[in-house]
Amino acid sequence: MRDTFHPVAWLAWLAAAALPALSTRNPLYLSLLMLAVGVTYVALGRRSPLAKSWGAFVRFGALLWLLTIPFVALTAHYGTIVLFQLPANWPVIGGPITGEALLFGLASGLSLISLLLVFAVFNVAVDQARLLRMTPGFVYQAGVVTAIAVAFVPQMIISWQTISEAQQVRGHRVRGPRDLLPLIMPLLVMALERAIQLAESMEARGFGGQVITGNSTARARGQLVMLLGLGALAAGLAGAGFWPDRPVLLGALLGAGAAALIWSFWDQGRRVSRSRYHRWLWGRLDRVLLVVSMGAAIGWLAVWLGQGEWLFYYPYPPYSPWPAFQPFLGLLILLVALPALLLRPEMTEM
Amino acid sequence: MIHLDRVTYTYPDQAKPALADFSLDIHPGEFVLVVGPSGSGKSTFLRSLNGLVPHFYGGQWAGQVDVFGRDPITQGPRGMAHLVGFVFQDPEAQFVVDTVEDELAFSMENFALPQATMRKRVEEVLDQMTIAHLRDRRISTLSGGEKQRVAIAAVLALQPEVLVLDEPTSQLDPQAAEEVLIALRHMNEDLGLTVILSEHRLERVVQYVDRVLYLPSLGAAPVLDEPRAVMSQLPLVPPLIRLGRSLNWSPLPLTIKQGRVHARQLAGLLAVKSVEAGGSGDGLGADSRRATISPAAPAGGESSPSVIDVHDLHYAYDGRAALRGINMQVQPGEFLALMGRNGSGKSTLLKQIVGLIKPDEGKVAVAGLDTRKAALEEIIREVGYVPQHPGALLFQETLQGELEFTRRGHAMPLDAAADQALLERLNLSHLAQRDPRDLSGGEQQRAALAAILVANPQIILLDEPTRGLDYDQKAALAGMLLGLRRQGATILMATHDVELAAACADRVVLLAEGQVVVDGPARIVMSDSQVFASQINKLFRDPRFLVVEDVLRELAAAGVEEAALLEERGGK
Repeated sequence: MRDTFHPVAWLAWLAAAALPALSTRNPLYLSLLMLAVGVTYVALGRRSPLAKSWGAFVRFGALLWLLTIPFVALTAHYGTIVLFQLPANWPVIGGPITGEALLFGLASGLSLISLLLVFAVFNVAVDQARLLRMTPGFVYQAGVVTAIAVAFVPQMIISWQTISEAQQVRGHRVRGPRDLLPLIMPLLVMALERAIQLAESMEARGFGGQVITGNSTARARGQLVMLLGLGALAAGLAGAGFWPDRPVLLGALLGAGAAALIWSFWDQGRRVSRSRYHRWLWGRLDRVLLVVSMGAAIGWLAVWLGQGEWLFYYPYPPYSPWPAFQPFLGLLILLVALPALLLRPEMTEM
Repeated sequence: MIHLDRVTYTYPDQAKPALADFSLDIHPGEFVLVVGPSGSGKSTFLRSLNGLVPHFYGGQWAGQVDVFGRDPITQGPRGMAHLVGFVFQDPEAQFVVDTVEDELAFSMENFALPQATMRKRVEEVLDQMTIAHLRDRRISTLSGGEKQRVAIAAVLALQPEVLVLDEPTSQLDPQAAEEVLIALRHMNEDLGLTVILSEHRLERVVQYVDRVLYLPSLGAAPVLDEPRAVMSQLPLVPPLIRLGRSLNWSPLPLTIKQGRVHARQLAGLLAVKSVEAGGSGDGLGADSRRATISPAAPAGGESSPSVIDVHDLHYAYDGRAALRGINMQVQPGEFLALMGRNGSGKSTLLKQIVGLIKPDEGKVAVAGLDTRKAALEEIIREVGYVPQHPGALLFQETLQGELEFTRRGHAMPLDAAADQALLERLNLSHLAQRDPRDLSGGEQQRAALAAILVANPQIILLDEPTRGLDYDQKAALAGMLLGLRRQGATILMATHDVELAAACADRVVLLAEGQVVVDGPARIVMSDSQVFASQINKLFRDPRFLVVEDVLRELAAAGVEEAALLEERGGK
């Protein structure tokens, strides 16, 4: 599979696209976001079999959403726009059914669907295994382990099919949970066998890198710094409750804690000696996507923190059930469709 | 230089050592083949060369190992990784990342090689293993042979001194195995790489190797000598060598080419026309090809009604065509071998016949049941299907439990006496109370067969029944299948194993790209094929000779008294 844009540029895009989905329930913004993401999805085309499975996932999300709407609408009974009345003596669903509740149900599912769509596009666009291998040294092992786990899933699905076929032809039928044993036992055994083989293979190929064991003072220093960093972070977070009027002290504690942790992680990563095969090249378009997406993400973050009421939407009284719209925010969301404009035909070929 | 000195190793919780007082020397640049029955310590020996034994497995170790100046015991597998490249049996289970190029770089990244070095070496190994065209592919899309070549390339990238391979071709079809072995030979001859390889199917490799290490049984003294010397002592050998030994051919032939020298001398006695024609199947006249040379079952079958009738069968997985217009009839009591490359549609066809998948187009009728309409319960009363991986089937705590599970699935009454008789027949009765997952490869295969046969199916479908079996186990399986056939069962077997097909099958159907390419009596099809011919047939290129017994019988009939005597010896 050829890569479209630099994975880091896609990460910036992910931030720009996921922030609106996470921060607002305003159906206008969310609908616009879905439109922008959808355009990107279509532009990417069917780049991998993954795209297909994500399509199924999004459809499943949409189904869940459609199911939650009547649930919220039937149980909330609050608001001024009364659509109809159910007899009050009916448990749970009895009482007035309101337009506000219906809107609320619609809006809450919408953010979930948008988020699913955003991740679907990200997964189709970026090879996760490569992304995982770009992780910095100290989390490298975790990255590889995750990559292996992800690669394990398709193999498990194949094993599951093989086993269920084998048991079916012995006359086995699944009628209840107890009947799952003949399927689960071989699956576990096969997965274990495979895991042991993989572990053996990784061991034989020198996985784990060559760890340069520093002297004991260096190790003790690393541990001490990490401890201090964690302490400062904990004090800062706890202090936010006790001294809400001393922002400078809190900021200093949190900042120092974070800095100490980052340093100690970096220091540990330095001691695992390994190298990278891939070197990513930044093209002009990658930079454009990175800068624009970062701009959009930062803009949205600033609005979220500074002008939170712009994003606020709550259909129930005393607020208006009709969502507000800020053109500036609309513009930020439209920037999410940028990859669709930048993609050239040769980039979407498999 | 590899030097083992008085090594004794015992796995944890085992009473008997897997290697006992084991000493040997292997020289740089040698190609050594390791042979021996299953469970004789081949894998243990190979794993001791890079420290997986004892570091990965635990257990008790005594003795000295030296591999190119390093001690695997003190270095551990990680410390040996750049010196000993290790390739495993299952191509699926040894990949860490998902694309070819990244897989090749993975080990080098772990060793923190500079990027420029990695680039150079990736290009080198891509060329050495002739897989440059695969560099951007996802590993899941590769064929078995390609996967195994990528696995070899991935360990070669670290430029090891020794390449150790544990049955690297046992999961591959003959062509894919050939690709891998040719690549290995090239690495050994051109680059002087020391190669140590274990392999069950000797006929594939014996001609390439410098020496053969024979491990007779667990803990027994090993034999390390040049191939001819070892081949004359092995109890179970490829058909060509067996024939050579039966007829006292000297020097013992290791290749078909060497064997032809001797075969020519027999040609007069046997009235073989085409030894000189060698590889060309056209040495057979058109008449002899058309002639029915005593196929045990009727091949044409206009008279008796067929028990399996596949008509214009089409099937696709997710839009990818797997079967494209298959037509095939099978008569009751026939033994049919389905052959063809991996991915040619053999397994899919078997699943169609047992009704696990239904035709997209066309029709499959089994014992009069249309698989599209009949319920699976009805079909499996007639058809038993043994999948490729016996582990997919076995889950009960005892083998007896497996049989009872199948009986319940078929709504049959429990019958301990009949179960016992079946296990007796499959030579499994002593294992009835054992956990099936603890059995050896061959025993598991038989256990899976027992779990299917207990329902008394009249049609038996087998998918690659000899994967990973040694000669002994294979011979036992062949005998058992022929026994079932004598009792009237119809058998369909998908296999890559040409010798097994030659020994058992009446009829061979060759599939390619989801279509039937050839369908005919085994003797005719095999004499006509370059690839799917048995060793003995390649030697004589005559439909009368598929297996060693055919030649010996014919010699006896021709009045060669010595041959008659020798047949007895060969039979023993």
